[in-house]
Amino acid sequence: MEDVLDEIVSTEDLKKFEIMYNKQLQGEAVDTNIQFQYAWCLVRSKYPVDIRKGIMLLEDLFNKTGETEKRDCLYYLAIGNARIKKYPEAMKYVKAFLQLEPSNEQVQRLELLIKKKMEREGLKGMAIAGGVIVGIASVLGLGIAMAKKG
Amino acid sequence: MDQDDVLTILKILMIGESNVGKSSILLRFTEDEFHDNIQNTVGMDYKSKKMSIDGGTVKLAIWDTAGQERFRTLTPNYYRDGQGAILVFDVTDRTSFTKLDMWLTELHTYSNKPDIVKMVVGNKIDLPNRQVTTEEGLQFARRHQTLYIESSAKTADGIMCCFEELVQKIIQTPGLWDGYSYEALNNMNSNNGPRQRLGKRGIQLTDDYEPDNTYSSCYC
Repeated sequence: MEDVLDEIVSTEDLKKFEIMYNKQLQGEAVDTNIQFQYAWCLVRSKYPVDIRKGIMLLEDLFNKTGETEKRDCLYYLAIGNARIKKYPEAMKYVKAFLQLEPSNEQVQRLELLIKKKMEREGLKGMAIAGGVIVGIASVLGLGIAMAKKG
Repeated sequence: MDQDDVLTILKILMIGESNVGKSSILLRFTEDEFHDNIQNTVGMDYKSKKMSIDGGTVKLAIWDTAGQERFRTLTPNYYRDGQGAILVFDVTDRTSFTKLDMWLTELHTYSNKPDIVKMVVGNKIDLPNRQVTTEEGLQFARRHQTLYIESSAKTADGIMCCFEELVQKIIQTPGLWDGYSYEALNNMNSNNGPRQRLGKRGIQLTDDYEPDNTYSSCYC
């Protein structure tokens, strides 16, 4: 593991908190702590569908909790979005966090990490596009060469 | 990759009450920096750092946990496979010292390595209004067979020593790290044959294992 975005939740943890959360859903109201714990597990899942569900739960929590819990939501919303490669969205949450706590070292590091991933994947995207262009060009070149021969 | 010269990866946990200085100790160790008014850690943070020991290089994978109560239910899973634990208290806050019992119990409950190396750290020794004496700290460490050191993340006192001592003791503890390094290295370099043998070199190091050295020789 190289950084906080690589971390994967254990299946047992995810199961455990899913059961707790589902039990709460059958009751009158969901305890915000349990919702947060389940969402925290979900955003660290290896499956994007889980991560998306975690993001939804955190967004919902953000609107109904106090200031201290809001920062937890912002942090894990940034992590969740970065993990499904929604980098601009992730940056939005990082910026919102840094507006509250401009000198927070943990979040400054997360910001750098997301920027790095963005750059790296941007370059990869360009390389793939570049490769396709070279490919098309060579096929075309071959075609022209063959046409000339014929 | 940069893992080429790394002998093994050691998983280290930072635990203790909120505001005792876990993240500050880590920041001093990894970046040699100190920030006044560092904010509470959100959930769990992770940092890695390479360290030279006995002529080899080990990589420390350090998990910094939030001390706040509301994260408590989710932290136990991080204890898995931890080879070293740094239990921090604030020497100017007696409650943070008495809570160490609870943190030790939690560590024993959730750690799957019975001989995990523990280091108790009395932090903030640069502050004047001390509430816990060195003798009390040492007594606690002796009673629970842990290493002990006092530190100040602000002045950097004892910080390097804390990690060096801990790593030295892990390396000297037979069976604590070979298996893990195997696993970690195999996972990372599944088709890299020669790398897998590196983990075995640690067996030589267990010769100078000193079971009686229960607290830090660094401490003075």
